Amino acid sequence: MIPSMGHASVLIGLGLTVYAAVAFVLAARGGDPRLNTSARRAVIGSFVAAGIGCAAMVISLLTHDFGVRYVAENNATTTPPFIGVISLWAALEGSILFWALLATGWAALVLHRYRDRYRQLMPWVGATLATVNAFFFAVMTWPGNPFALTSPVAAEGSGPNALLQNHPFMALHPPLLYLGYTGMAVPFAFGVAALVTKRLDEEWLRIVRRWTLIPWTFLTLGIVAGAWWSYEVLGWGGYWAWDPVENAALLPWLTATAFIHSAMVAERRGGLRIWTSALVIATFVLTLVGTFLTRSGIVASVHSFTQSPIGPWFLAAILVALTAALGLLVWRLPDLSGDGRPSGTVSRESAFLLNNVLFLGLTFAVLFGTLLPLLVAATSGDTISVGAPWFDTVTVPIFVALLFLMGVGPALPWGTASWSTMRERFAMPLLIAVLVTAGAVGLGLREVASLGTLGLAVFVGGIMIDEVIRGTRARARGRNEDHATAAWRLTTRNRRRYGGYGVHLGVLVMAVAVAISSGLASDRTVTLAPGETVTIGGYQIRHDRLVVEPLSTDVRVIETRAEVTYSGAQNGSLDTALRDYPNSQAAIATPAVRTSLAEDLYVTLLASDSATGVVTLHLFVNPLVVWIWIGGAIVGIGAVFAIWPERRARRVSVEQRQRAPAAASVEGA
Amino acid sequence: MHHLRWLLVPLLVIPLGWLLLTGFARDPREVASPLVGQQAPAWTYETLDGDTLSTDELAGRPYVVNFWASWCIPACVDEHPVLSSAYQRGGDELMIVGVLYQDTPADAESFLARYGDAGYPHLIDATGRLAIDFGVTGPPETFFVDADGIVQAKQFGPLTDALMADHLARILPSAAR
Repeated sequence: MIPSMGHASVLIGLGLTVYAAVAFVLAARGGDPRLNTSARRAVIGSFVAAGIGCAAMVISLLTHDFGVRYVAENNATTTPPFIGVISLWAALEGSILFWALLATGWAALVLHRYRDRYRQLMPWVGATLATVNAFFFAVMTWPGNPFALTSPVAAEGSGPNALLQNHPFMALHPPLLYLGYTGMAVPFAFGVAALVTKRLDEEWLRIVRRWTLIPWTFLTLGIVAGAWWSYEVLGWGGYWAWDPVENAALLPWLTATAFIHSAMVAERRGGLRIWTSALVIATFVLTLVGTFLTRSGIVASVHSFTQSPIGPWFLAAILVALTAALGLLVWRLPDLSGDGRPSGTVSRESAFLLNNVLFLGLTFAVLFGTLLPLLVAATSGDTISVGAPWFDTVTVPIFVALLFLMGVGPALPWGTASWSTMRERFAMPLLIAVLVTAGAVGLGLREVASLGTLGLAVFVGGIMIDEVIRGTRARARGRNEDHATAAWRLTTRNRRRYGGYGVHLGVLVMAVAVAISSGLASDRTVTLAPGETVTIGGYQIRHDRLVVEPLSTDVRVIETRAEVTYSGAQNGSLDTALRDYPNSQAAIATPAVRTSLAEDLYVTLLASDSATGVVTLHLFVNPLVVWIWIGGAIVGIGAVFAIWPERRARRVSVEQRQRAPAAASVEGA
Repeated sequence: MHHLRWLLVPLLVIPLGWLLLTGFARDPREVASPLVGQQAPAWTYETLDGDTLSTDELAGRPYVVNFWASWCIPACVDEHPVLSSAYQRGGDELMIVGVLYQDTPADAESFLARYGDAGYPHLIDATGRLAIDFGVTGPPETFFVDADGIVQAKQFGPLTDALMADHLARILPSAAR
């Protein structure tokens, strides 16, 4: 009953999205305006349908309805309710259902919000979004039916994916990432609509920038949460492995970030229209490639689901989307070129352009490294893998250059920078950066990369703080406000700029944490009998005893656990374990991580002998790792600050006066 | 000249499509087995029925070694009828040996009771020794050994009737498919 309801809602969703796509196109081509309204309602209906589908799946999981194949494969009678709920995205079919919920949610939100505006643009936006969503419903109708039944009905299911069970972060990382991925369809839809209607104007840029920034925020948080999950769960002491699927999330992030920056130049100076629309298209296509890599099983990774017939469908979707969008772009090329206002060599514009070149370079490097194994396998049949050292070598210099630009770019004036402005703005931060770096050398830091990043970060941070102080002082003097009020008003009246500074600040914190933690981490592998002690990085580690027993929450899981006490900068005891899940081929590590603001003590159990109680442990002392997650949170706060709608009061009249001509050009003709 | 810009579309789309398409031809998890072409490991094990079976008793006959588990859903369930019918059709010419992979005899018996027991023996590999000897990474995996005791083929993942026929052709003297 419940599964049939779920299946029916998928079919209804397919019907509604197909209808919406057709009706929007008819409305756009001058059909009855009521078509537009009914198509919009159909999109909202598809969101409701996806919601009912997800609810039906969650109920089936919670009631252990093993008649549903997905439930039998991802649930067991012993599965706790919380894990049951998040199993919605534990495997292929369920995650597509969840995906459809988010994608239709974005579509409904955008179409509802702009229901009375941009009458030329919105039908095409709606048609594009409905088509994309129809694809996901079609996948669930044919090759990936989440409600497929199985017979005979098993008495017990095989239980959820072991990696999913092992850490609550699985409740957070996939939804954030999916929100980012699915949201990137919105700027893509605006891009397609603008190319069709030839309306790539400032108004368009403003909307698309906003609607890119929102999914960008989710994508960023999803990537950081994924890194954190990997660090807490996988037990190798690191957080980023340049795994193909990690790269797949990074790629659209890079192009979206490039877009957010280039849109600022385009908005301010005109031009760059081919470039900005190409970035929007690339971002969306890369999200599809990312999904394809995860869902099709053509690359091996902790993320990939089993091989499935869904792969060819996604491949077809990527090729259709790319062909259609590129075709549109090429068709409109003659209308789009030229018309930017000129600017000096050293200016904010040129910093932004260099930023885009670097982001694109990163995108190509990561894409090349990710696809190379496929290319080699296709041409010579050999299996190769492109490892972290290659990615580090290629990308670190570009990241460092971006870090430098991040400080210098926003401090440069639009137009042309004079020598005296540059001296005035950069001399002091440079001096402080040199002093801090020298101080760090004095304290014993010798690693060149870490020192460079630290110095650069201080320089860049100094420029930003200097700007805020300067602005606050000027405002306090000019308007006779106290400094706190002046600072608050300064930043909230220009949320985009200062929110951007917040994001940059978070990135700086992350960069320093990454550089120092990778430069100064220490690790060693030790074999200890019960009662033996070892030292690492100022910690005394003692192996107390080895325990092998079933997990109290699920007796089918056998835990091999080393109980360890430690003393040093932090004191206490910890358990580090290997868990043997019945449906997992390899034992799953459950590393113990003791976090402080200064450093993490990280202990993984590698091997053990139950007869003697002897264990082999991998010990890490990782400095400052927690600051990577804190930096990620600062990025998120900065982004939300930038997205938050500006207060309307007083500004409205000014804005209306400014926008009147632009708005007329959108609505006119 | 202006029309040349249209070349951009196929120039980008075709290579990307080709590259991703070739990915379907292989399974990235599949590890080429060094056992193929080599002598199969020798073994003696207790079976689910309580008998003892060893490679000596199979000498001179082609046989199939199938690693499976009751918890391996759906792959082991899917391939189960393929093995059963091949065993019934193979008659005296073909032996099939199941091996329990990280599984308990009780669970395996209830699996066979539920999904049908064709009657071929299942070895209780309690220590996982046999799985290590064959280099099994996860069930189901199936090895095809000819009458001379040489491993001729390995199936990674569930068998289908067509795959079964292909692999059997390498080890059976006549076409007993």
